[in-house]
Amino acid sequence: MNMLTGFIEQTEGEIIIDGYNMLKKPKKAKREIGYMPEGVPLYTDLTVKEFVNYMAEIKNVNKKERKEKVEKIIEETGLKDVEKKLIKNLSRGYKQRVSMAGSLVGEPKILILDEPTVGLDPKQITEIRNLIKELGKTHTVILSSHILSEVSQICNKVIIINKGKIVAVDTPENLENKVSNDNSIYVTVEDTDNKIEKITEKITGIKKLELIQSNEDGTKQYIIEAEKDVDLRKSIFAEFAKENITIFEMKKVDSTLEDAFMKLIEGGNK
Amino acid sequence: MWAVMKKEFKSYFYSPVGYVFIGLFLIMFSIFFYIDVFNYQSTNFEYIFYSGATILTFIVPVLTMRTIAEERKNGTEQLLLTSPLSITKVVIGKFLAATLIVIITELCTFMYFGILCFFGKPHITTALITMLGFLLLAISYISFGILASSITENQIIAGVITIGFFILTWFLPQFSEIFTNFSLINMFSKFPTGQIDIADTVTFITFTIACILLTILFMQRRKSVR
Repeated sequence: MNMLTGFIEQTEGEIIIDGYNMLKKPKKAKREIGYMPEGVPLYTDLTVKEFVNYMAEIKNVNKKERKEKVEKIIEETGLKDVEKKLIKNLSRGYKQRVSMAGSLVGEPKILILDEPTVGLDPKQITEIRNLIKELGKTHTVILSSHILSEVSQICNKVIIINKGKIVAVDTPENLENKVSNDNSIYVTVEDTDNKIEKITEKITGIKKLELIQSNEDGTKQYIIEAEKDVDLRKSIFAEFAKENITIFEMKKVDSTLEDAFMKLIEGGNK
Repeated sequence: MWAVMKKEFKSYFYSPVGYVFIGLFLIMFSIFFYIDVFNYQSTNFEYIFYSGATILTFIVPVLTMRTIAEERKNGTEQLLLTSPLSITKVVIGKFLAATLIVIITELCTFMYFGILCFFGKPHITTALITMLGFLLLAISYISFGILASSITENQIIAGVITIGFFILTWFLPQFSEIFTNFSLINMFSKFPTGQIDIADTVTFITFTIACILLTILFMQRRKSVR
């Protein structure tokens, strides 16, 4: 990430941004990138407007258009109310926005966002995510994040990198489907006489039954693994009802991007 | 470059640093002025700058220690280095901002020249030559201060390195004559007598350029070795 933005020089290979080589034509390559670093470094003794203006100046935004463009970006990122405040007095969410505004100046084609939602409260997170989605319509957004649910929500292409090597490049949906080969169901039941083992023997298609935990109110949670492409929920419901076992909860185990990530990384380490 | 200079110059006055630098210099300068004029009955404006150079030795680090060290610590370095600006422009912008503060300070000292005009006839050309010398000394000090700031993340360490180096070059000639030519403050000593020494002028300027180049080199190097 640091190399892509030209902060560090690469040790091998080439970085080409929109046709410009980062080493040979850094000025042009860097102009195409808007970078929002991790930990949002800002000049805290400037006001929001001064900061955005300064970013516009160092990115060589045309003097005539500068004022107008700065104005527009402040509007877009929702900073209009705080534009005259010192950055050090702003909340974390606003700082994140200021940083994003700084990266947007100069109309870069590519936006690189490093952990844009770290340290925010849920409301701010949704706001920032919406902003990113909005920006994604007009820019190429490269987002790095450790929050995988966020990735599957916002991104339409995922690159998983493990120890400097690319492990997978795909859409989040495809990655999720790749690992969902097991077909399991969670059930929480009230089963005082422990009849469940016997019943499950009767139902065809069950591969494995495993007790996960016994709850304090006498219910037990099991995971039932079924053979592929068999939906057991209907037969489980019918059979359990016959034996007077009450089902409190039953749900299919969804595989998430996290599972995909874990599998891929483990595979890479072996 | 101008953008960096403008912002740096402004932030000297957003934080107390700019005021402290100018204020401290003028207070000390006033004290030396008082001593010179009233105790020695002299209307010699230039000689106060000998004391001025001493003050400069101790307060330039205040101005320069934060320049690059602070950016590095706060991570704002990333903003600068990933912008289309070259490192050279960043460093020169910072250097110019600090120089501008010194020039402002120097202009303030003109009021003492005005006061002296009431009592005698101070020599304007000598005064201007002294000021030129003083500015040359100041830019070499500033450039070294920025260099010190670029090698560490810690402002205090940068400041201490700077002061240490200045004091070293100041006192080394007392140990051995060989060092006479290396003492920045000694090089300044001819200016208040009204002569512009070409050798000294060139040394000052070379030293400044060398320090700025080294700073750029250090920053460039950090980009590839990390």
